[in-house]
Amino acid sequence: MSDTKFTIGWLYPDLMNIYGDRGNILTLQKRAQWRGLDATVREIQRGRVANVDDVDVFFFGGGQDREQALIYDDLRQHKEHQLQQAAKNGAQILAVCGGYQLLGHYYQTADGERYDGIGLIDVRTEAGSKRFIGDVVIQTDIEGLTPATLVGFENHSGRTFLGPGARPLGRVLTGKGNNGSDRTEGVRQNNVTGTYLHGSLLPKNPHLADQLIREALRRRGDGELSRLDDSAELAAHDWILQRARRR
Amino acid sequence: MGLRKTTAVLAGKATGALSRVTRRGGGTTLPGDVARAIDPKILTQLTQDLTHGSIVLTGTNGKTTTARLVTWLLEGAGHRVVTNRAGANLIFGATAAALDKAGADGRLHADWGVFEIDEASLPAAVQEIRPQATVVLNLFRDQLDRYGELESIAKKIEKALATQSETRAAILNADDPRVAEIGLGLPRDPTWYGLEDEKVASQTLPHAADARTCPHDGATLIFDRVYVGHDGVYRCPHGDFARPAPDLTATDIELHGFDSLAMTIHGTRVEIPLGGLYNCYNVLASYAAACSVGLDGKYVAERLKTFQAAFGRQEHVEFRGRHLILVLSKNPAGFNETLRTAVEAAGGEHFIIGLNDRKADGTDVSWIWDVDFEQLQDTATTVIPAGNRAYDLAVRLKYAGVKAEEPQTDPGQALDLLIETTSEGDTAYLLCTYTAMLDLRAELVRRGWAQPYWET
Repeated sequence: MSDTKFTIGWLYPDLMNIYGDRGNILTLQKRAQWRGLDATVREIQRGRVANVDDVDVFFFGGGQDREQALIYDDLRQHKEHQLQQAAKNGAQILAVCGGYQLLGHYYQTADGERYDGIGLIDVRTEAGSKRFIGDVVIQTDIEGLTPATLVGFENHSGRTFLGPGARPLGRVLTGKGNNGSDRTEGVRQNNVTGTYLHGSLLPKNPHLADQLIREALRRRGDGELSRLDDSAELAAHDWILQRARRR
Repeated sequence: MGLRKTTAVLAGKATGALSRVTRRGGGTTLPGDVARAIDPKILTQLTQDLTHGSIVLTGTNGKTTTARLVTWLLEGAGHRVVTNRAGANLIFGATAAALDKAGADGRLHADWGVFEIDEASLPAAVQEIRPQATVVLNLFRDQLDRYGELESIAKKIEKALATQSETRAAILNADDPRVAEIGLGLPRDPTWYGLEDEKVASQTLPHAADARTCPHDGATLIFDRVYVGHDGVYRCPHGDFARPAPDLTATDIELHGFDSLAMTIHGTRVEIPLGGLYNCYNVLASYAAACSVGLDGKYVAERLKTFQAAFGRQEHVEFRGRHLILVLSKNPAGFNETLRTAVEAAGGEHFIIGLNDRKADGTDVSWIWDVDFEQLQDTATTVIPAGNRAYDLAVRLKYAGVKAEEPQTDPGQALDLLIETTSEGDTAYLLCTYTAMLDLRAELVRRGWAQPYWET
């Protein structure tokens, strides 16, 4: 194993892990290790965090309501500044579902109550009445991403809308995406990738996993990744594409 | 009123008979729909006919096995028991079961009702059935696309138990923090049960354990012992929440793979041909339920020795010289335990892992990333990913460092590959979600190696 370190920072692993989020962590770690990087996972719990300069990719997953309430203040108190700095310095942040919503401006409940997010991305979320549950296929325009599709599973009642500063992660081909009305899904802005796709997301989208690793390494002037045999991952990806076509 | 009840019963029974003749779904729930449409109070009326009353069981894992255990114990003591079988655990399934045993006079001629009830249906079930005892086994994350979050399920159970009258028993698992939270909030003390054996415990929680924070101050709970999932001995570091002291404990636990287990409950040694630490909880719960309705501990121990598992729950099948053990594994907590039993206790080498994403399995398969398939790394030599989501499983196994065979979405081809990759005399474990198990079993039946399940 080489001396190049690669660190995955997992935000609130005990509390924000509802939809098999460990799959995203394992995928980033293994794929970095298979390239000879010394990849480790750093768990970032509640409370003060000293220094996160070593983290290359942050992962922020979704939680159940009760757990989400437990991290809400902590995020703004102890993590907001660090995450902003990290993203500015070129670290990548992948946020799924609840994590995605909390990185935006706010989440507004059905009663009109607003919970402020940390505003790292130009999105806002409002509670919807019906949950969006099912397979999702999106078409991305991330340069060089092959295949250009991302697949996953969504389960959310929040409706997320992008502001002028945010670009969507992709366009919905199957499923609902951000809000069920404008056919956008997720966001790419300021080194943050936000999405409602789990399933888990990265195992069936190895090209996106590599993209995040590559972009995170680029800040060190590195960024070339050797090719891996992705036949198993892409077979799972294709299976979802084919089912979506049949429906 | 009497006429309406009789009409409802007869219409329901006729529906049941018809669906059995046409083999449409075995008649497990449709008769309930029909009868309830005619008389919405039919379940209350029928359960009032029971000479002794009802026992209701709920929780994420172990409902079917525990209901079958309690039924086995009551029947052995000479009681006539009505029970909803085949996982028909919504209110319609319970109604259908009661209808099935009702006579032409529209009355239910039985002594006890034993009903496994889906967690979300518990409030309605308790209100209609008015059980003598309600057992809550555990609360784990399960089928988020269908049930929603753990918290909303817990709230429903809490509401159901809180409305019960004082003479009704609540029998709760003290080792499950979320179940304990429910019980500690009840107006009167429930009967608590729990395991008490350090040597079968570990010190660390599995990945993605739920219920790991204090309900009062949100602090991360300290687990002194972990038995199954997040079930163990826990406490809040600030002292305001801890595992309640169990009234009934299982000690000196001995585990023999999927073959059998033994433990001491209240000074009585209990042995049963059922494997896995998770089944200690099911046996202990059934013991508690049986004693709460007056059965004697010595009798219970004797009767349990001859228990037989339910469909797909540790069923043994001989298939072309291979010994197959079929174990339903449907969520992270359950899967981790069946894997652990197969690997640690039984030294399992050959596996078919079956994953479907139909409605009964849960349509979201992301939970497989919460299962510790890494356990298979060292001992497993043959691992066949099967089911309609076999490709997802293959990726999961790859990232777990497990060398797996090609994914097989066709159950017949999965079995053929098992024959190809194993030898006569080998034991293979089939760990599958609900409909993946149905599919594999149907294939075994088609080839004449297993009985259709409605005849067993």
